[in-house]
Amino acid sequence: MLKNKLKIPDKTRKPFPDRLGSLVIGFDYRDGENVGSDVALEFGEELETIQPKGFGSDREFEEPDGGVEAECVQEEVLTGGGAAAAAAGETEFRARQRPGREGSGHVSVLEVIAADEKRSDVEYELSQEEINLEKLQRIASKGLPDEGGLRATTWKLLLGYLPPSRNLWQKELSENRLKYAKLKGDLLISPSEFARRKILGFGPCETEAGSDVDGPLRRHQISQEDHPLSLGKASVWNQYFENTEVAEQIDRDLQRTHPDMKFFSGETVISRRHREAMRNILLLFAKLNPAIRYVQGMNEVLAPIYYVFSTDPNEQNAANAEADSFSCFVRLLGDSVDHFCQQLDNSSVGILSTLSRLSELLKTNDEELWRHLEFTTRVEPQFYAFRWITLLLTQEFSFQSILRIWDSLLGNPFGVQDMLLRVCCAMLLCMKSRLLSGDFIANLKLLQHYPDINIEHLLQMPF
Amino acid sequence: MSQRKKVLLKVIILGDSGVGKTSLMNQYVNKKFSTSYKATIGADFLTKELLIDDRTVTLQLWDTAGQERFQSLGVAFYRGADCCVLVYDVTTPKSFDTLDSWRDEFLIQASPRDPESFPFVVLGNKTDVGEERRAVSAKKAGQWCQSNGKQMPYFETSAKDNLNVEQAFEVIARQALAQEESEDFGDGGFGGDVLDVNGMMERENSSCAC
Repeated sequence: MLKNKLKIPDKTRKPFPDRLGSLVIGFDYRDGENVGSDVALEFGEELETIQPKGFGSDREFEEPDGGVEAECVQEEVLTGGGAAAAAAGETEFRARQRPGREGSGHVSVLEVIAADEKRSDVEYELSQEEINLEKLQRIASKGLPDEGGLRATTWKLLLGYLPPSRNLWQKELSENRLKYAKLKGDLLISPSEFARRKILGFGPCETEAGSDVDGPLRRHQISQEDHPLSLGKASVWNQYFENTEVAEQIDRDLQRTHPDMKFFSGETVISRRHREAMRNILLLFAKLNPAIRYVQGMNEVLAPIYYVFSTDPNEQNAANAEADSFSCFVRLLGDSVDHFCQQLDNSSVGILSTLSRLSELLKTNDEELWRHLEFTTRVEPQFYAFRWITLLLTQEFSFQSILRIWDSLLGNPFGVQDMLLRVCCAMLLCMKSRLLSGDFIANLKLLQHYPDINIEHLLQMPF
Repeated sequence: MSQRKKVLLKVIILGDSGVGKTSLMNQYVNKKFSTSYKATIGADFLTKELLIDDRTVTLQLWDTAGQERFQSLGVAFYRGADCCVLVYDVTTPKSFDTLDSWRDEFLIQASPRDPESFPFVVLGNKTDVGEERRAVSAKKAGQWCQSNGKQMPYFETSAKDNLNVEQAFEVIARQALAQEESEDFGDGGFGGDVLDVNGMMERENSSCAC
């Protein structure tokens, strides 16, 4: 039964709409096919094409037939007593102290034992010759340990970046890292060159358009209209300006990525190095996906991946965090890239459609709350959940909580987006009592500045 | 006067990414400045109560995302607006040049009944950087504000040093209040039922015919 459930629905492989056929990542050749796992993307694929699935199916929130015991509980919670439990739980959990967040908070013996068990569970699974992805998904859904690089390895497996066979890991990793280095060499100008241009502060010059053989413009961007005087959309000059604009936007946003964390912000050597790596990833993604380019917020989606990979105690992994993050970022976005695309806003795979799916999910689970929110107080999902969904909740919670939530998103056998909508719905149910007594202003403020709540409680709701 | 119903005024803040929209709002509402705001995704919402000629009004401030990608989603945020604030950065000429398109985009998406008279207020932010780094002169900005039919109120502000922020928002609130009151005389500037797009267009047509 579990085997069936783990099958990723066909829609995962639904080809990308024609008009965005340019959403192609890098290499022309295919390899790493037929690894034989049931994960959404085959190993190595993120370096070829991204496969946004949209979110078209009606089956999205159907409960699988006769699920395991845990799922019966989940159904009960979500469709019946969930709201009341949530309302009751809200105050209870607010008062409770959360280990991990404050660091020095009281941690009970039971919690220590539970953490040890969890850790050894993950270590055991990861030590197998052939990783059982179903088991790994179940373990991840309960939250992964912060130590030992276990989260990094698990996320790579769950995203299909690492194949389930352990003995293939090294080979696949080195191949992909090489590919990334080549792609970067082909498409990104060197940081020193970038700096030189910044210092000179100049516009396009001869070398830019004409003789820079390795430059991105010649290799991948120049089209028919590349005469320097052409004002056409596809002109190399126009694209030069656009690329510069993209780079500036990325830089501006990287400065604003988790400004409270030294890892990302400030003018230390280390934080600068991290920002540079993240800029490479985002710039490369933008160049390879001209229909989407860079959209504000992608920095936030990349941040947890890059952080987790570059804090891996395995030095080789940490040193290659940029390459690994790029591939995993592409895979992760493959699930939801349509949300970033303006042209698809009103289509069945765009963000507005996903927002109405959240609305339907809430209606199914708690019609009273749905009616109050959307009709009585007229708080539309777009006002608050647009950011929740496009950024995978990365601006709503503390960094530690984000990592925990992502364990559950990535561990969901039905995909990140499926789980994301369930968590969003649970976030609304958790605030039911406050929302029901609130007006437009109070409710919108509450949902735009979601309170610090117990994440474990939140994540138990959708199960 | 004080017996009148509570007034809610909806104000939309538009402008390029990084010009300081969020900073201006937070300086005005929370009296705080930070260099580390996250990029706004979608739109953030803040409120502020203030007294205008003995009337208590609540400003609903919508701080929007600056990147072009988010513009098509603006319609949900723009409709029912009583005033639109256009912000640029005095050190970035491009952010000034795009004011035209921000204004046009707003008028298209919000489609106020009388676009000619709809109130805009222009803010040139980041004056704290000093004259040597300024790239858009006050004169140039003033000319732009005048060339747009009705004179648009224009302020040079610094969210960082809290310069002119309070003054600018008072004018914004007054403009919004005047707009709200002029709508009360008419048939509701944007139509009553925001969900009923066709109905709204019909009402608009009929009011134009009068």
